[in-house]
Amino acid sequence: MNGIFLNRLPLSGKVFCTLYLVGIGCGALAAFAQAATAVGLSPGEVRASLAPDMPMTHMGHGQMSREKEIDLGQISTSAKVWIRTPLLIQTSHTHLFGMTLIAGLLGAIFLFSSLGEGKKTLILSLPFLGTILDIGGMWLTRFLWPPLSALVIAGGSLFALGYVLITVRSVYEIWLQKELSA
Amino acid sequence: MSRFMLRLIGGVGLMAVAAGIAAAHVTPPVVLASDREAVAGLLSGSRRYFVREVRLSPAERAAIQKQSGWTPNEDFYRFYLGRDDQGALVASTIFMTEYTIHGPVRVAVGLNPDGKVKGAQVVEITEETYPWVKPLIDQDFARDYVGQGSTGRYTLTDRVRAAGDSMTQFYGQVIVSLIQRAAILYDTTVLKRPTSG
Repeated sequence: MNGIFLNRLPLSGKVFCTLYLVGIGCGALAAFAQAATAVGLSPGEVRASLAPDMPMTHMGHGQMSREKEIDLGQISTSAKVWIRTPLLIQTSHTHLFGMTLIAGLLGAIFLFSSLGEGKKTLILSLPFLGTILDIGGMWLTRFLWPPLSALVIAGGSLFALGYVLITVRSVYEIWLQKELSA
Repeated sequence: MSRFMLRLIGGVGLMAVAAGIAAAHVTPPVVLASDREAVAGLLSGSRRYFVREVRLSPAERAAIQKQSGWTPNEDFYRFYLGRDDQGALVASTIFMTEYTIHGPVRVAVGLNPDGKVKGAQVVEITEETYPWVKPLIDQDFARDYVGQGSTGRYTLTDRVRAAGDSMTQFYGQVIVSLIQRAAILYDTTVLKRPTSG
């Protein structure tokens, strides 16, 4: 872009971009571990945390009370994180800002890739689309249809795919690709 | 370095600062006990377990709001009931949550058949709130509210007040309010309804 490519950056620029990409990678691994331990990585686990709490007694809409015998085994032993609407609002606004800014920074670095415009556009769009799908999926799971929890997993995966493609290609261009003619 | 590059790096720096501020706003949850652990502990002595789910009528919601200032807004509330072999009620448990600016605080409250508090256990907080709430847990704060009913005195006791700084006291009051709400819900939906048992 503007005749500036990643492999032509001064040393400080190369180090900055590389360390930023490494740092985001470490953060992504930590976020993955956090999601896996606190909520889970399957659509079912995401649904259990996000979908509206349904009556265990199958209490009808107009009913005021209902009781049913249960076995203790029917109560979850896994530590369960309940993401109710107020927490969903908090999570959405912080993650939409945070993830979009990360996607923006990744995209800003990748703008200087020597890849063709088509490929570059596609790859730098992935983290943005992943963010929208991830957070949007949370709301759709909660308010539209619980099986849409698969969108949350798909969104996270799309974000991760975008990060990996941007990082691998950028690091390659920064440190390994030979000088291109302008 | 070109002006374009300087502008780009400046923009990137600003975005990084903003990302840091946004990411620092909410911390991950800390789950201290599973639902089953909390229910088993607070319904100790029970041989059979039941779930009773209740809805509040508009009049009941209004009465609770008037009594306590709290507006219940869940579609339904779930009590876990423990009974003995003969079917007599041993105790009940309900999970209550408050959403603070630092994230949710979830507490399991155990109630005796007469609606008096049997015990309480914090089951979920956030990383940020954990250091503030830990002194309360260490002091077994819930002990001070055992035996109180829906109209009891749910203010911080001197012992709880001395357990930590102002944030600990703030979260102490949040948790104590959740205990009171549990007692009020039991009173309203179990004790005061004709079909209660």
